[in-house]
Amino acid sequence: MRISTNSMFEANVSRINDTQSSLAKLQQQISTGKRLLTPADDPLGAAKALDLNQGQALNTQYTQNRASVKDALNLQEGALQSVTDLLQDVRAQVVAAGSGGLDDSSRKFIATDLRSRLQELTSLANSRDGVGNYVFAGFKDNAQPFATASNGAVSYNGDNNQKLLQVGASRQMAANDTGDAVFMNVPASLVYSASSSGGAAMSSVVVTDSGQVKPGREYQVTFDTAGTTYSVFDTTTNPGNPTLVTTGPYNSPQTLAFDGIEIVASGTTTASSKIDLKPVRSQSVFASMDDLIAALETPVSTPQQRKMLNYKLSAAGENIDNALDKVLTTRASTGSRLKELDSLDDAGSARDIQYADQLSTIQDVDYVKAISDLSQKQMMLQAAQQSFVKVSGLSLFNYL
Amino acid sequence: MSILSVGQSALNAAQVGLVTTGHNIANASTPGYNRQVVIQGAVGGQDSSYGFVGKGTEVTAVRRVYSEFLGNQVVSTQTAKGQLDSYYSQIQQVNNMLADSKSGLSPALQDFFSSIAATTSDPSSAAARQSMLSSANTLAGRFQDMDAQLDEQRQGVNTGIRSSVEGINIHAQQIGKLNDAIEKAMNNGGNAPNDLLDLRDRAVSELSKEIKLSVVKQGNTFNVMIGSGQPLVVGNKTYNLSVAQSPTDAGRAEVAYDIGGKSVMLAEDSITGGTLGGLMEFRARTLDATQNALGRVAITLATEFNRQHALGQDQTGLPGGEFFKVGAPLVAPSSANSKGVNGSPMGGVTASFNPLATKSLTTSDYKVQITDATTTPVSYSVLRLSDNTAFGNSPGEVDGVQFKLTDSPSTGDTFLVRPTASGASAATGIRVRISDPANIALGNSSASGDNLNALALAKLQSAITTNGNASFQGAYSQLVNQVGNKTRELEVTSAAAGQLYSSAVTAQQSESGVNLDEEAANLMKYQQAYQAAGKLMKTASDMFDVLLSLGA
Repeated sequence: MRISTNSMFEANVSRINDTQSSLAKLQQQISTGKRLLTPADDPLGAAKALDLNQGQALNTQYTQNRASVKDALNLQEGALQSVTDLLQDVRAQVVAAGSGGLDDSSRKFIATDLRSRLQELTSLANSRDGVGNYVFAGFKDNAQPFATASNGAVSYNGDNNQKLLQVGASRQMAANDTGDAVFMNVPASLVYSASSSGGAAMSSVVVTDSGQVKPGREYQVTFDTAGTTYSVFDTTTNPGNPTLVTTGPYNSPQTLAFDGIEIVASGTTTASSKIDLKPVRSQSVFASMDDLIAALETPVSTPQQRKMLNYKLSAAGENIDNALDKVLTTRASTGSRLKELDSLDDAGSARDIQYADQLSTIQDVDYVKAISDLSQKQMMLQAAQQSFVKVSGLSLFNYL
Repeated sequence: MSILSVGQSALNAAQVGLVTTGHNIANASTPGYNRQVVIQGAVGGQDSSYGFVGKGTEVTAVRRVYSEFLGNQVVSTQTAKGQLDSYYSQIQQVNNMLADSKSGLSPALQDFFSSIAATTSDPSSAAARQSMLSSANTLAGRFQDMDAQLDEQRQGVNTGIRSSVEGINIHAQQIGKLNDAIEKAMNNGGNAPNDLLDLRDRAVSELSKEIKLSVVKQGNTFNVMIGSGQPLVVGNKTYNLSVAQSPTDAGRAEVAYDIGGKSVMLAEDSITGGTLGGLMEFRARTLDATQNALGRVAITLATEFNRQHALGQDQTGLPGGEFFKVGAPLVAPSSANSKGVNGSPMGGVTASFNPLATKSLTTSDYKVQITDATTTPVSYSVLRLSDNTAFGNSPGEVDGVQFKLTDSPSTGDTFLVRPTASGASAATGIRVRISDPANIALGNSSASGDNLNALALAKLQSAITTNGNASFQGAYSQLVNQVGNKTRELEVTSAAAGQLYSSAVTAQQSESGVNLDEEAANLMKYQQAYQAAGKLMKTASDMFDVLLSLGA
């Protein structure tokens, strides 16, 4: 075949150009360590790499969120640890105060000590985190959640929202427990509230035998038309048709005893007189302590007062136990959340390695292959250049 | 006597051969040159009683070695290569813009959502809120940057179209002039003016780099047609192309055909082949689609984010305000629409997004056409331009875009609606509307620790928000994938077209190109022929001397 001199030169030059540009690309890949230089190099890989990048960024974000949750939970755990110690102390004081050998002034000492423990407890419940936000305030974390009124009653001004953080792709975790749940909403034992109407009055409720108390029962005391007989009904399950518990003659002031409870009713009663006795379902740990302190501060001289003190002490014992239970349950849940965070961390770092690995497979250059390609192309370029010089030197004109 | 004249004819022929060989050598590297050969024939013999005695040689023609078939192949492969090369070189810029993982959209998008997630642990932190606002601005800025780069490329395409049109006009005029010169030369003596023919073939080949054309030979002249049959050169007459503004988009250069003092707009898809065809195809297939896709990500992000943001409360207790500005659809009436006395269009179309249907948004543009202005309300149809799907009967809403007619349009009026084209533009597209960090609605209440809305906002990152079941990032990845795929395809096809072109050129050159070794051989051949002819004449002279010496 005829070959034009021009074609020969052009073909050689373009071959050298091609080899040079693929050499340049290989060199760029080797120097950047990236196989994927533009999306066109691997369109599917490029899109996948972007998605993987997002996955990796999200994973990092979850790791950071887990660290925040961990910090918050550790802080909460620290506070609750102190609360646990405090309540255990209080519990021991309750037992000590119950020993028969104490007189009024010894009990007052205990009461004084307990009052300062109550303040300590309130300040623990008002714990703040590193940036000054209140730990047990729910969402209203920029205002002090627990306030003590002049009468000593502690009120809660936070809300009952838990702050959730995204700690995994499909897992949100609470970074706090609210003061409402931990301190305020504690189940109460042996505490009753009474209301009376129609001329009846009631001066005291005393639990004389906690063994006989039927927890959760509601009672209603009614009287006959003459006001000389009382009847105690159990209204818990069927208020329309209540069960009769006990009945007896009424002579004001009259002590009524039933199911381990004693109440003293007084006043001129008629058929429309009523006394309702309902168990208090929940009570704050502060109220329990306040009750306890008030009982210890009250002097004891009559048998009735002694009875009352014993009742108050056993109620306080149960209620402090309940509060302790509540705190321990919260701590258990905090602990299990912390444990879950650890295992999420493990999974997160495993996933991070996976992402990095997948990204590397897509983007990174295979050095062995790249370098062997490079030397191959180098050889090709050299061969092309040398043969070009040799062939182009061949001309008939050299011999003319 | 006759020996001398035979020698003379041989001498002449050898001289023509030497000159032609010299011409070939001189033009060995002239682009478009076809080698020329001397056609030589024996002069008929003189009859005598003993037979025909030869009378020497004559040069019958100097002809160029040219194959029309191979020439046409070079032209057609050149057109295909020109189109693919120009498309490829344009799309490479988009590809490179998307390639940079540091400056692309992804890092800004991820930073933005990370900054939201960072507020969830302490939503009242002013620093966290400020950094969320800053990364929102960075994200909006990134959208605008990328959109501006695409706009710049649009300007580049306009410039490319202008210079390509200029080139077409220049080559067309050359062909017209050469037609004239060749016609005159051929009419003079009937011999083909080889070098002029070469020049004209070369002009046709240069023209074919710019645009696809068809050549019709008429006698000795070439008539050149482009597009859907518009004549560009007829004999020695040429018609000009010019650049005009698109009737629906002032920033878009279109090609018009000048005839009889009027400019007629050529349809974009009628211009194929060559650099110009490549530019048109790039703009219609890649640039518009890329800008729309980017705009769509911006619009869905802004709309979805605003929607969730409005559900929350800011630190002052007010419901979340507009966080991002959402770009509005572009509507352009055709310049051919009916006009009122003051010259402004009689009818209009307003298009808006249905904020609850951003998932249906496509990257296509739409054409609204008034089908019947006599009905109440006026009837219209909507055409989705990406796949030419028609939605008749005044559809109201198509693909998440709501259409409404305003004023009094006439039957046949058309409007181009580009819903997502400016979604990412700095002028009218995405922008952060909130400047006070306290106005970010991170909670469902104004409580300082309420992070419920921040959680919901952060979750948008991986929520399915875009057509094709993709997240914002997914929609962007799709765009990168599409551009990457097209670039890759063009890399391969333009290389293949380059191969086809160069093998066509090699084939054409192997027929018509100059081979210097061959010319060296010819040089020796004609030199020897010349020497031999001289020797013949010397012999004749010697013989004559013998005759003269007889008388002495």
